[in-house]
Amino acid sequence: MDIIIPLLVDGLAAASLIFFIAVGLTLVFSVLRVLNVAHGSFYSIGAYVAVSIGGWAASAGLSPWLSFPILLISAALVAALLGPFIEATFIRYTYGKPEALQILVTFALFLIFEDLQKLVFGVQAHYQDAAMQVLGVSEIGGIIYLNYQLLLIALAVVVVVSLRLLMRHTRLGKLILAVVADPEVSVTLGINARQVYSIAFTIGVFLAALGGALATPTSGVAPGLGAEAIVLGFAVAAIGGLGQIEGAALAAVIVGLSRVIAIYYAPAFEPVMPYLVMLVVLLVRPYGLFGTAQARRI
Amino acid sequence: MRIALLLALAALFVAFPLAFPWLAFVFTLVISKGFAALGVAVLLRAGLISIGHALFYSLGAYTVAYLSRGAGVTDLILQLAGAVAVSSLVGLIIGLFMVRYRGIFFAMLNLAVSMVFFTLLSKLYALTGGTDGVRIGTPTLFGTTIERDTLESILLYGGLVLAFGVGYLVHRYLKSPMGEALPAVETNEIRLEYLGIAVPRVLLAAYVASAGLAGLGGAMYGLLVGHVSPELAYWTISGQLVLVAVLGGIGGVVGPFVGAFFLEIIRSFAVIYFDNIWNLIIGAGLLIVIFFLPRGLYGLIERATQRGPRR
Amino acid sequence: MWKLAATLAVGLGVIAGPAAAQDRPERIGMGIFTFTSGPAAAYGMPGRNAAELIIEQINEAGGIGGVPIAPTYVDEAQGGEGVVSEFRRLAGDQSIGVMVAALSSGNCMALAPIADQLEVPMVTWNCDTHQLFLGEEHPYVFRPNSSTVPEFISYAAYLAQKSPDATRIAIINPDYAFGHDAAQIFTGAMKAFNPDVEVVAELFPKLGTASFNTEISRIAAARPDVIFSNLWGADLENFVRQAQARGLFRSSQVVLALGESVLQRVELPEGVIVGVLGDGWWMSPDAQANERTKEFVSAYRERFGEYPVFPAMKMANTILAVQAAYEKAIEASDGWPGRADLREAFAGLELETLTGTVTVREDHDGLVDQLVGVTVASDEHDFPVIGEMVRYPADQVTPPVGEDPMAWIGTLTPDFAASLPKPGSYE
Repeated sequence: MDIIIPLLVDGLAAASLIFFIAVGLTLVFSVLRVLNVAHGSFYSIGAYVAVSIGGWAASAGLSPWLSFPILLISAALVAALLGPFIEATFIRYTYGKPEALQILVTFALFLIFEDLQKLVFGVQAHYQDAAMQVLGVSEIGGIIYLNYQLLLIALAVVVVVSLRLLMRHTRLGKLILAVVADPEVSVTLGINARQVYSIAFTIGVFLAALGGALATPTSGVAPGLGAEAIVLGFAVAAIGGLGQIEGAALAAVIVGLSRVIAIYYAPAFEPVMPYLVMLVVLLVRPYGLFGTAQARRI
Repeated sequence: MRIALLLALAALFVAFPLAFPWLAFVFTLVISKGFAALGVAVLLRAGLISIGHALFYSLGAYTVAYLSRGAGVTDLILQLAGAVAVSSLVGLIIGLFMVRYRGIFFAMLNLAVSMVFFTLLSKLYALTGGTDGVRIGTPTLFGTTIERDTLESILLYGGLVLAFGVGYLVHRYLKSPMGEALPAVETNEIRLEYLGIAVPRVLLAAYVASAGLAGLGGAMYGLLVGHVSPELAYWTISGQLVLVAVLGGIGGVVGPFVGAFFLEIIRSFAVIYFDNIWNLIIGAGLLIVIFFLPRGLYGLIERATQRGPRR
Repeated sequence: MWKLAATLAVGLGVIAGPAAAQDRPERIGMGIFTFTSGPAAAYGMPGRNAAELIIEQINEAGGIGGVPIAPTYVDEAQGGEGVVSEFRRLAGDQSIGVMVAALSSGNCMALAPIADQLEVPMVTWNCDTHQLFLGEEHPYVFRPNSSTVPEFISYAAYLAQKSPDATRIAIINPDYAFGHDAAQIFTGAMKAFNPDVEVVAELFPKLGTASFNTEISRIAAARPDVIFSNLWGADLENFVRQAQARGLFRSSQVVLALGESVLQRVELPEGVIVGVLGDGWWMSPDAQANERTKEFVSAYRERFGEYPVFPAMKMANTILAVQAAYEKAIEASDGWPGRADLREAFAGLELETLTGTVTVREDHDGLVDQLVGVTVASDEHDFPVIGEMVRYPADQVTPPVGEDPMAWIGTLTPDFAASLPKPGSYE
């Protein structure tokens, strides 16, 4: 039927947005073994910064095409300012501590960031949609889509491939994998594990901020965005098998498609789809799609 | 020493609402949250963090609502007992699945189940009143009708007595072999199995107990507030219960109640005096407790009263 | 621990000496409940701003009966129990005379029985669920505003008059009682006015949805004549931007029930049917004819950087209703009116607001006219304004006292829509 094509396009577009929420969370968990609730804050801060810089650029009369580098620069800025700082002041002290404690420390940070954002940016929604406008629209299967939606799908693929290349084929990636495999042995081999953690956390912050920034051209940013992002990010990361980038990508596609199918055929069930998928996946595969059981201590 | 401390805390608890009537509501809320957080704390002893106990908390409140409106059970005692029974039973069913999971995946599966339940509460309009929630009327006691004010006194003072009673039972449970096995699950599960202890059974008992406690807290909440809506099942409430448990300290039975007390007091005053930054204040308070008071606030109170040589 | 006790004592010092009911107090305490954080603050903050400003203006003019108002603001975003707890705390403080609560219908439903129990007058400023007074009497609760039934019937009536041939309707409302109730009322009225109407898509995205792109595809695929929505806040702005970029506004007649609240923030195309859930538009002919309104609007604009959207007008009008009730009570009683006297005064209250009139009926519900129109370009402002306006008289579109509102909708006929004032008649 001709509904198949819109369904697929919508599904992938939704999946790309979801993927950008979950990928940084997944990366941080895979390296630091910390489930970072404050990830949602970095997501919304990235969005706020991107909108602010984009708004300045627009009022200064710069070309709308500059919106794209601005989105990237905003994310990098947030990562550079917050990543090493938050890791060194708070996250570092939770390594190896019980999960409940890690979640609470990052949850406390999340609460603090929520109010700080409100104090700085107010409570009304902020927008900067130059990037969406300049790209225009395309008609696929009788329905008009934003070219920006299609760009996001492509960008999500680029991020998956780049992260894979980073992990498998660069010196940094090998250092990270070594530290993940065995922190103690890596340190005795002369690897500066602290630095690796700091870098990995900062990359995680960058990915979160990038996700937030990339969402702004179509969706803007308003209070509550971070809270919304974090719980969805948790669900997707868990479905993928925590710490698996490819798993997060596949999980995002499944969740995205399931929501789209729900909207088309049973709209009442749309809000519950991520959790329903998580429930089913975890009941069938207790460690997520790509996850494996960790060795049990004796 | 410890008994004296507890009695002092209880006296404080009784004295303040007499002086400031609005605190009666806040203090009853503390007891209600304390029960639920105690349930979460029982699981935390085994290293299991549930971001889904708002399910049982709201289930307790909705059970009371259903009993009084749908089933015509108006007696306070029956309503509380019914809420505990229903949430324990649901805890048993869900627990059968949960005991296979550890760590993050336990947390996530609880989150998933509770969010599905949250959606059902909003969607099943005929049964739950949808997102605006449902009213809970004033119950009767032993066949006599009581005034709203009387109910509030019963919930506060009766709740305090109940907290002591239930607290004692949970204390005994935690000191029993089934309870002592919980911390051992976290430190070394396999060793427990070698010792011939059935870990799933240990965890299932803990899960059912925690669900029942959360249901009891939720029932009190429903009776106190007189209204329940699906937001009570939302994941942020679950997060708050974990927060309360860790804030107070999961080492003993009193900790979660102390945690609930401090959270409610901080919240009440932050909302009055700093209504723009109360999230920030709670977050900062939480960080202070985590980094400087590893045994929670109750640990602090205990330490302050135990001068001199330790045991 | 003593420090805590001291803080508590200081914090509650106000309560220590309750004024005797008959003495003239130094100030009138007023608890004001609205959202000042979280997603709903987009709607709640204009309300708070308006409260701040109108109270300042009332106090400058000598207060109420010579007594200034002292507001205490409560953030509804802290959740049901926090709101209830604050309500109780304020009710226990005898210097508080009245509560203006609340924005959220859920909170109103939770607070109403408590207002009755504690015998403190509660005046709702926004919550418009028709369920509030349905089946339960609340002696201390008053709503000097309209409810969902007249509000959404008015859109159906306007549509029936303006586009009588539109039969395929798509609905996209937020996924909570407000959205579902509105869908039911709008659909019911549309079908009553034109039996050929069919709903081709009905979507309820949850509050706080950032991307409506799938919903937009789904609606586009259904080829509706009319798209009705009561989304609001950031959700509405997101939907408008995405839907407009994807051509939805060109292919269908769009009805945005809360559209006025985003006129200054997002570029709405011309010809979108919008309204204000009542008569609270700052630019309406009635408002512009009122010097006090003009003064309020320019002061608001100066302080908050935008014109007062309709939630702001609702709040200001509600506080004026409280003022009118106090003045009525002062006249009726010997000394200073207590809470019970104020309650008496609300029954049958009638007053001129900034944007029209309001009558509090015997069932405590308000009678407020309904203003609907379409967006048109403005010579004066750089954002669109409302044109082709109609002002439906409150008594014509509001179900009579004691009648089940949903059953009443079922009795409506095509003649009903024809009997109402025509679009463009309000100038």
